[in-house]
Amino acid sequence: MYGYQIAKLIEAYDESVQMMKQGALYPVLRSLENSGLLESHVDPSVSGPPRRYYTITKAGQETLEAWARIWNQTKAFVDTLLEENNHV
Amino acid sequence: MFKDVDEYLIQLKKQLKHSDPALIQDALSDAEEHLRNALEGAQKENSDISEDKALQSIIEKYGEPIEIASAYREIESRISPSLSSDVSQKTRSHFARFFGIFGDSQAWATSLYLIFSAVTGCIFGLWTLFGAGLSLVTLIFIIGLPLLGLYLLSLRGIALIEGRMVEALLGVRMPRKSIFVQKDLSLTEKLKVLFTESQTWKIFVYLITRFPLGLLYTFGLLTLFAFSIKFMTYPVLGPVFDQGLITLGGQKYYASVLLYPFVSLAGFLSLTLTLHLAKILGKTHGRYAKAMLVRKG
Repeated sequence: MYGYQIAKLIEAYDESVQMMKQGALYPVLRSLENSGLLESHVDPSVSGPPRRYYTITKAGQETLEAWARIWNQTKAFVDTLLEENNHV
Repeated sequence: MFKDVDEYLIQLKKQLKHSDPALIQDALSDAEEHLRNALEGAQKENSDISEDKALQSIIEKYGEPIEIASAYREIESRISPSLSSDVSQKTRSHFARFFGIFGDSQAWATSLYLIFSAVTGCIFGLWTLFGAGLSLVTLIFIIGLPLLGLYLLSLRGIALIEGRMVEALLGVRMPRKSIFVQKDLSLTEKLKVLFTESQTWKIFVYLITRFPLGLLYTFGLLTLFAFSIKFMTYPVLGPVFDQGLITLGGQKYYASVLLYPFVSLAGFLSLTLTLHLAKILGKTHGRYAKAMLVRKG
């Protein structure tokens, strides 16, 4: 996927809330690539400028799984705290 | 409010004024890619929408130049310096940098551009001169003016093609779209703009000078490559084909067998230096092309 497609995908999740400016996504993509979590290649486009397509690497996939685990643990912990707070 | 993508890019460049050139390049190419793709999408969805209106809503989501510049600076400051290729290039030893040219794709791409530049330069130069002559001769006839207009437009088209080659092979950022002339002008006014705009004549001069420069690059580089390869392969091919190392005035001069390793080494060093020279020439030519083919402001 190229940057604009990723930005549209994020936007499609919830159009009412804009978490961040779409332009801020691009330096993040480049920094993830520098860290070896993504790789990219540039393909020419017929109608516009060349597009940079990003693909997740094996290390990126592993990191994503690790982050998802941490996120789920944190979420479960916060949910438990909030639930207990409601009962008090 | 920005009237087109180029205006946004100029503002973004201003906001990133003191940043690393590579960061500026990245930010500009990301912004251009996004804005043009979004603009294309918006115009497909609603063909009646004007460019500046569509751009306004796209920029609202994408971010103003000041916001984007700060996002790039912030992310860049978090990246470890060791990840920057620029820094790793600087920290490599002189030896590795000198011989690393063989693994430098830019040096090979530049060599390709320079080797074929006699052919492209010949086509560009001849068309420019032939077209100019034809346009001048036919000016006395009724078809003269439209022909002149077509000829001047063709020069811009060639400049765009040359720009694409310069960007792809010399790595110098060049415009990806042809210089446009205002749409609401009449045909005569458009011709007048084409004829009076200094950019047209800069392209004209560039395309004419491209011919002798192309000859110089191609024959200079081919001679150096041939010289280097001959020296490198001399210990093997010299005795087999009874080749002299140097031929002067029909007289062949041979190298003694003891000197063979040094001859090969000299050839290898010469090839390395040729690639460095090609890269420098490519960079210089890229700057010249940018100065002549890109409209300022």
